[in-house]
Amino acid sequence: MRSYLALLGAGFQRQTSYRLALAAGLATNAFFGVVRTAVFFALYRERDRVAGLDVADALTYVWVLEGMFAVIWAPWVWEMAEAIRSGEFTVELLRPGDPYLRLLAFDLGRTLSILVTRTAPTLAVAALVLPLRLPPTLGGLAVLAASMLLAAVVSFQFRFLFGSAAFWTADYRSMFMLVFPVLWLASGFVIPVDYFPGRLRGLVDWSPLIPLLMAPVRVATGRAAGLAVAGQVGWVLVLWLIGRLVLAVAGRRLVVHGG
Amino acid sequence: MVAEALGVYLRLAAATVRATTRRPAYLVVRTVAAALIVVLEVAGVALLLDRFGSVGGWRPAEVLLLFGMAFAGQGLALVFGNSLEAEKLSELVRRGTFDQVLTRPASPLGWVVASYVDTRFVGRMLAGAGAVVWAADRAGVAWTAGRAGLAVLAVTCAAAVVFGILLAAAGFTFVTVQGSEAVNVLVYGGLYLASYPLQIYGSALRFLFVWLVPVGLAIYVPALGVLGRTGPPGLPGWLAWLVAPVAGAFLAAGGLAWRAGIRHYVGTGS
Repeated sequence: MRSYLALLGAGFQRQTSYRLALAAGLATNAFFGVVRTAVFFALYRERDRVAGLDVADALTYVWVLEGMFAVIWAPWVWEMAEAIRSGEFTVELLRPGDPYLRLLAFDLGRTLSILVTRTAPTLAVAALVLPLRLPPTLGGLAVLAASMLLAAVVSFQFRFLFGSAAFWTADYRSMFMLVFPVLWLASGFVIPVDYFPGRLRGLVDWSPLIPLLMAPVRVATGRAAGLAVAGQVGWVLVLWLIGRLVLAVAGRRLVVHGG
Repeated sequence: MVAEALGVYLRLAAATVRATTRRPAYLVVRTVAAALIVVLEVAGVALLLDRFGSVGGWRPAEVLLLFGMAFAGQGLALVFGNSLEAEKLSELVRRGTFDQVLTRPASPLGWVVASYVDTRFVGRMLAGAGAVVWAADRAGVAWTAGRAGLAVLAVTCAAAVVFGILLAAAGFTFVTVQGSEAVNVLVYGGLYLASYPLQIYGSALRFLFVWLVPVGLAIYVPALGVLGRTGPPGLPGWLAWLVAPVAGAFLAAGGLAWRAGIRHYVGTGS
């Protein structure tokens, strides 16, 4: 347990040391947030409620999205795949303890750093100047934090699966590139999935993409918050099993080139 | 003289394109992926706008025309300018490859652009153009030569502005070696902003993206002409004539920043 905590701390420290990248990231989130805010204000000028969402729900979606962006689409997504290609990953399998947990601890340390230095300030500033809908109680905020943490775990689990493609093919990026636009739309990064037409929304709501963005948004706005967190926990368990299975199979067929 | 010099760059670019066609599957996947992101983003925005019916007085199809123009312009600019992005150019500088470029009897810019032509962004450009045609059809646009000319003007001028931003950012990368991802705010953020009718924004944002980084001017004003809209009251009709000169001036300013960057280039000793 202590070694995993140390890895968590190391990941946190590593991410926190990128000061310039943090400033650039905050500026990018702020800019896109302002533009999306203007778009939703314009959309809701003549309507009060669309697909069950009012303007406060939509603005909360915007700023949770901006806050979570770097957690979900972490820039280090290909680190594991590159380590597999170069052979460095074998070291990972030789270290004591569980490789999946170790990777999770380090990754979670990095995303925790983003949650503290990017997500929280972005949401806090937005909540000060805009009519967002956030949990009014400390307990509610704690649930929101837990939901964001679960989103970070699921995003690691996806990164792990995409990186694992490198066990089987050197061109691991191609598959991701083709799937990415679908993930981008279905996870709610283009528009909230609540605006999708009925049948499509029903389909998407049962996918493992909901825990990434829409679940924290629903927890924040207090719509079916309990169900959202339960869904996140369920998918963490399912993706956990899939990840372990992949690691067990891949560990046996990992080819290490000499030199 | 000029034709001869241009021939060199064309041959360089042709060699780069030929090299990518050696792995057709790889090229096809990346081109399709670059197009697919446009298709799904436009589909998502179409779903959103259909729920609301209009934004800023514009019908959904009219807004999607802006999206198409912005994506087509982005694709066109990135075919030539993707190598100028901070991450890639910084790599050229750190490896010392750029030192060699400077010793060649060719323009450094011409060399970098021609040797790193990125054909997969043709996919993004074509998907954007497809979105323009689809949205124009849904908006009931009766195409004339003049309107088609305005659509081409919007795409090329938006591309010129994006290329100008990338040039200026490249000049910055030469000085700092590392460059900054903050440029993406202007490139992708500016195009995203210009994908909605400009009247929905506050005056500061509008001023910034009409006159300082004129990507909004480049898309919005020609789109008014294509759609046969008059725009908000007070918008002069002759503004369309300003689009090309303003975008050209911005591109030239980007070129100056690139030159200033090269003058301060010292290499990294690798």
